[in-house]
Amino acid sequence: MAEPAVSAHEVRKIYHRRGAPEVTALSGVSLEVRSGERVALLGRNGAGKTTFLKIASTLLAPTSGHVEVFGHDVDRTPGEVRPLIAVVPQEGKPFFHLTPREQVYTYLLTRGFARAEARRRTDEALGQMELTEVADRLSVTLSGGQRQRTMVATVIATEAPLLFLDEPTIGMDPFARRGVWASLRSLTRKGSTILLTTHYLDEAEALSDRLYIVERGRVLVDGTSEGLKRSTGGSLRVTLTGPAATPEAFGSFGRAYPETGALHVVTTPERLPELLSFALRQQVTAAVGPVTLEEAFLRVVGRSIDEES
Amino acid sequence: MAGAVAFRGLRAFSYTEFYVQAHEYLSIGTSLVVQAILLLFVRILAPSLLDVALLGSVLFSVFALGQRVQNEAAFIRIDHKLNELYLASPLAPEAYFLGLSIGVLVAYLLPIFFLVGATIVLVGLAPTTALLLLLAGAGVWLFASSVGYVVSTLFRDMRAIWPYATLFYNLFGVLPPVFYPIGLLSGSLRTLALLIPPSAAAALVQSTLRANVLSPSEFALAAIALAVEAGSMFALAVVWARRSAREG
Repeated sequence: MAEPAVSAHEVRKIYHRRGAPEVTALSGVSLEVRSGERVALLGRNGAGKTTFLKIASTLLAPTSGHVEVFGHDVDRTPGEVRPLIAVVPQEGKPFFHLTPREQVYTYLLTRGFARAEARRRTDEALGQMELTEVADRLSVTLSGGQRQRTMVATVIATEAPLLFLDEPTIGMDPFARRGVWASLRSLTRKGSTILLTTHYLDEAEALSDRLYIVERGRVLVDGTSEGLKRSTGGSLRVTLTGPAATPEAFGSFGRAYPETGALHVVTTPERLPELLSFALRQQVTAAVGPVTLEEAFLRVVGRSIDEES
Repeated sequence: MAGAVAFRGLRAFSYTEFYVQAHEYLSIGTSLVVQAILLLFVRILAPSLLDVALLGSVLFSVFALGQRVQNEAAFIRIDHKLNELYLASPLAPEAYFLGLSIGVLVAYLLPIFFLVGATIVLVGLAPTTALLLLLAGAGVWLFASSVGYVVSTLFRDMRAIWPYATLFYNLFGVLPPVFYPIGLLSGSLRTLALLIPPSAAAALVQSTLRANVLSPSEFALAAIALAVEAGSMFALAVVWARRSAREG
C-alpha cells in the first residue's frame, strides 16, 4: 500500500490576536490524500480550507494535532517536506516586474533545476497555460486571469510530488479553467498528487477524485462527487413552476424545496414518469436535469448550519 | 554541508530579486536625490567638509537599502503572497531573506558606485579610506538589511510600515554624524554616535581623512559596535527568517 501523500490527524488551529477574540479556524480536521489523487476541499468562506492548506504546506503551525506529508511531520521536519511540495497561494500574484517566462524560469532555478531543464519546463508550462503570446510581457501589464495563470504555470512546471492549490482558477475564464484542469490531470498521470480548494463546484466535480466538505473548521463529509450527489436522495432534479407547484403536492415524489420562485424536487429515474404525469395533470411546467454537486453541497452545509443554530 | 542546505537556492533567488529590482530604474535613479541635495548644501555652505559628506552619502545610500529590503519583503508578502510560493519550496528561509537583501544591493550598486566615483574625482580616495569604506559599508548593509527584513514581518498592512520606515532610516541615517564630522559632537552624544551603525561607520571612515578624529579607544568602540551590531542583527534575521517561514 502506497504511503499517503497527506495524512492529517485531529488538526486544530486557534488564532490568538492581540486585542481581538480568539478564532477557532480548525477544530479537529482529519483527512487523508493518497498518492496520485486529486482531492478538493470545499467549504464556505472562512470554513478553514486555507488554514488547513497552510498548515499542510509548512507555512502555519497547528495549535494541536499533526499532519504528515509523504511520512514527514510538517511541524517537526518542514525542511524535509518543502522540496516535495509546491503551492499556489490564494490571491497570489507573480512579481509585477517579471514576465511570465522570467517568473517561471527563475522559480525553477530557485528550486534547483538546471538552466536547460528550467527553460524546457518553462516553455511547456507557459504553453499549457496558453501564456506563450504574453510570455515576454511584464506581469504588471497582464490581466488578472493571466497573472493567475502565471502562478499556476509556475507551480505546475515544478511537477512537484504534491501540489497545494488554493483557489487556483479564481478570475479565469471558462476556457482557461479547462486548460488548468487538463494540466492538473496530466500532472497526476505523471504521479503528482493534488490537494486544492475551490468555490467552483463544477471544477471540484470535473477535477477531483474525492472531496471533503469543511464547515466551521471540521470535516462534515467526504467521498466522491457522485456519492455526495446520491446522498441528496436521487440523481435527478425536477424544477416545477406554476401555482400548483407546492411541497405539499409534490413532496411524496422526493425531497421538495422552494427556491427562486420554483419548486425543486430531487427524485429517482424510477419515480420520474409518475411525477411528470402528475405535473401534467396539475398544469405545472416541469424541467428535468441531473442533481448537481452544488445541490449536495448546499444540503450538507445547510443542514450543518441549521443544526448549529 | 549544513551551510549549503541553510542557504539553498540563495544564488537563484538573489538573481530573481535583482531582476525584479532592476526594472525599478526610476526608483534606482531617484535613490540619490536626498544625498545630492545634502551634498549641494555642503558644497555651498562648507566646501571643506565635502569629503566627509561624500563618504557619508555613500554610507547613507547603503543604510537606506535596508528600507528597500523592508518595503520589498513586506510588499511581496502582504500584497503578492509570493512568500508562500517561495517558502513552501526547497528555498531555505534564510536564503529567502538574504536573497532579497543581495538582490536589492546589487540593483542599487550603480548609484552607490556613482557616488564613490564622484568622491574619487572631487576629493580623492586613499586606499586606506577605500578599504575602511568597504568594510564599514558591508557592516552597515548587513545591519540595515537585517533590520529591514525583521521589521517587514511584523506588519499586516503596507501603509502601517511606511511611517516607521521613514522614521527609522532618517533618525539613524541623517540625524547622527553621517554627513557631518563626528568632531562636532562631544560627551555622551559622541559616544552614542559611535554606537549607532551608520555613524559608527562614518566615524571610522572619517578617521582616515583627518588626524585626531577618533582616539584609539573610540576607534575600537566604533569598530566593535559596528561589527557586533551587524553580526548579531544578521544572526537574529537568520533565526527570524526560519521562525517566520511558519506563522505561529
